[in-house]
Amino acid sequence: MSILNVFNSPTTFALATCVMADRRRINGPPGGTRPAIYATSLPSIKDADRARRQRQPSELRKIFLKTGLIPSASGSSYLEFEPSASLAAARANPKSLIPPSSALKLACTVHGPKPLPRSVAFSPNIVLTTHVKYAPFAARKRKGHIRDASERDLGVHLETALRGAIIAERWPKSGLDITITIIEAEDDRWWGDAPDSHDASWGMMNVLAGCINAASAAIADAHIDCLDLVSGGVAALVTDNDGGAPQLMLDTDPAEHRSIVSACVVGYMPARDEITALWLKGGTSKAALDEQDGRSGHEALVDGAVDAARGAHMVLGEAVKESMERALGQTT
Amino acid sequence: MASATGAASHPVPPSLSLPPSQFARLQPHAYLLAHLSPPAASNQPSIRANGRASSQFRVTSANAGSLTHTNGSAVVRMGDTTSVCGVRAEILRTEDIASWSVSRTSNEASNKRRRLAELNEKPNEEDEDTAADDEEDRAHIEDLNLLVPNLSLSTGCAPGFTPGAPPSALAQSLSHQLLSLLHSTRLVRADDLRIWYQPPSLGPEELERHNDDEQMDVDPNPSGGVEDHKNREIKGFWVLYIDVMIISLAGNPFDAAWASVLAALRDTKLPRSWWDVDSEMILCSDNVSEASKLSLRGLPVASSFCVFEADAAAGWRAVVIPDAEEQKARSQKKGSQQRWILADPDGYEENLGQERICLVVDKEKGGKGKTVVLKMEKHGGWTVDTDDLRQLVDISARRWDEMKRILDQC
Repeated sequence: MSILNVFNSPTTFALATCVMADRRRINGPPGGTRPAIYATSLPSIKDADRARRQRQPSELRKIFLKTGLIPSASGSSYLEFEPSASLAAARANPKSLIPPSSALKLACTVHGPKPLPRSVAFSPNIVLTTHVKYAPFAARKRKGHIRDASERDLGVHLETALRGAIIAERWPKSGLDITITIIEAEDDRWWGDAPDSHDASWGMMNVLAGCINAASAAIADAHIDCLDLVSGGVAALVTDNDGGAPQLMLDTDPAEHRSIVSACVVGYMPARDEITALWLKGGTSKAALDEQDGRSGHEALVDGAVDAARGAHMVLGEAVKESMERALGQTT
Repeated sequence: MASATGAASHPVPPSLSLPPSQFARLQPHAYLLAHLSPPAASNQPSIRANGRASSQFRVTSANAGSLTHTNGSAVVRMGDTTSVCGVRAEILRTEDIASWSVSRTSNEASNKRRRLAELNEKPNEEDEDTAADDEEDRAHIEDLNLLVPNLSLSTGCAPGFTPGAPPSALAQSLSHQLLSLLHSTRLVRADDLRIWYQPPSLGPEELERHNDDEQMDVDPNPSGGVEDHKNREIKGFWVLYIDVMIISLAGNPFDAAWASVLAALRDTKLPRSWWDVDSEMILCSDNVSEASKLSLRGLPVASSFCVFEADAAAGWRAVVIPDAEEQKARSQKKGSQQRWILADPDGYEENLGQERICLVVDKEKGGKGKTVVLKMEKHGGWTVDTDDLRQLVDISARRWDEMKRILDQC
């Protein structure tokens, strides 16, 4: 019985697929290694131990956002989410080596506007390049050094969100490189849950919202003209008890919920009330809304994400103000 | 608004003078030289353009254990250079090692020898390792690649590095330097990384209890004696993936990277692990109180220097090795200093000198013993001589004290 438990556990070893040896990096043992399998905890995984959301449905996590940490870049920012209640408790009083949840941490740099290399065809607009990379130690499962499909996908989503806001025709023949390093990512689900049909990379959506916020702070720090500060927000429909109708929650940490039915992330410009990017996953038909609420499920979800983005926009404003004060302090 | 008033308050500069920041960009060499050798009349001390004395290091701060998904992690900031290091431990099973069954017999033999030696001598567990232990450490850690450091510069840390491109030559060289320093300082003990299995010689009803007693480390009770250790076998190893992300690069990446590796390894906790006979796999306990920290050998601290020469073209001329008389004349002329050795160079200074020195020193017995040089590397020029190197070792020894204080606090 206990053996079965071991094999069903989410930490079941996935044999480290030995990709073609990368001669530019230091590779580990050629036979591959396996992540640690925690055994003693398995019989004792209880629902009581699972991370639970302590916030109100519309309450957002605190965001730490600071600009200008990387002086060699034209603009930079560092973003960190407040650790969830369960993670904070685990840090204050460590009992288990398995972290209950994680808190997003990422660094963003902007290089440019800079002249495009001669080989590139003429462009009347600024050429935006986005690059998102997880650190190998960012997630519960070790990430490779080479960007995988999900990281490229994040890069494309981020570019979509930002492209609409930058006034591109002010810099013909120029390039702008946005690089984001994710130092700690969000989980896709609670670690004790097995992947199931509801499962998707929910953590990626939070990461994207964080990327949008950090990138627009860094772009403002680089003094690049934008229509507005694009801010990112996440909302999700979650079911926390079996059989219940999914509830709308803002800024969800996937590790804190039993199952996420659908989630939405937006890039939003509050000043123009415009959405620059919208990414919605999952079904929204079963959403439990108020009786008098005439909205459909996905409308409510998008509105929720926009509300979350508005919240993030306030933090962004503060960070950009701080960046401008610093810039003025340097020139005078 | 503010800039308009700023412009109004300053008189328009005369056409031939430049603000310092532009002068620094246009004439970097002359700018730094003017700072280092101010005119005698000005009565100003010789100081670097960044306001530091020549042997002064940048303000360093370290913070360990803030990343959730790592066994140990650290962030080290040296001025504007920031390095993040995360250590992840994974398990290498001996059946995944191709040559394990071939090489095992010799290892076992030396292992037994070591155990016996340990029992006889009862070493005071500090740095008193036997020769056999040394050899085995080297064999296991180096041959099995148990330490895997990788440094990444493709984080947007400086404009020159394209993200997404394969690691640059600098990143590859730094990764390799970290690896060779980890090997040559023998910082990590192979014994911390081994996962042992003791086949039970007891009755089957005691199996359960025995498994619980099994430690990944050396059993603390020597009363068990040789018998207990006789048929112990290694079932696996911990492999430490040491990933360094240089988040911000402003000169001297190696010192920052090494300091973050050191701080992260000091923070690293490995779970208690054992071979589970029933499931035929290595299992770990998630209990924090059972996890053990690595016992590192010493505290090697790296300090880098770069040489700034007053004669900007010196590097371009044909090198003529001075004969003895010229050497004498040169040393007499030393009063008018021709070059400066700058500790912990920032990005601006690094571009102005070819000659680099890197020293790694440690002090025995936690700072009370004598200073030991673990690595000395000098390349790119020939102006630094033995006396200079001796002085640099003293500076590095002082830096060691400073770094120890910083690392102990984090």
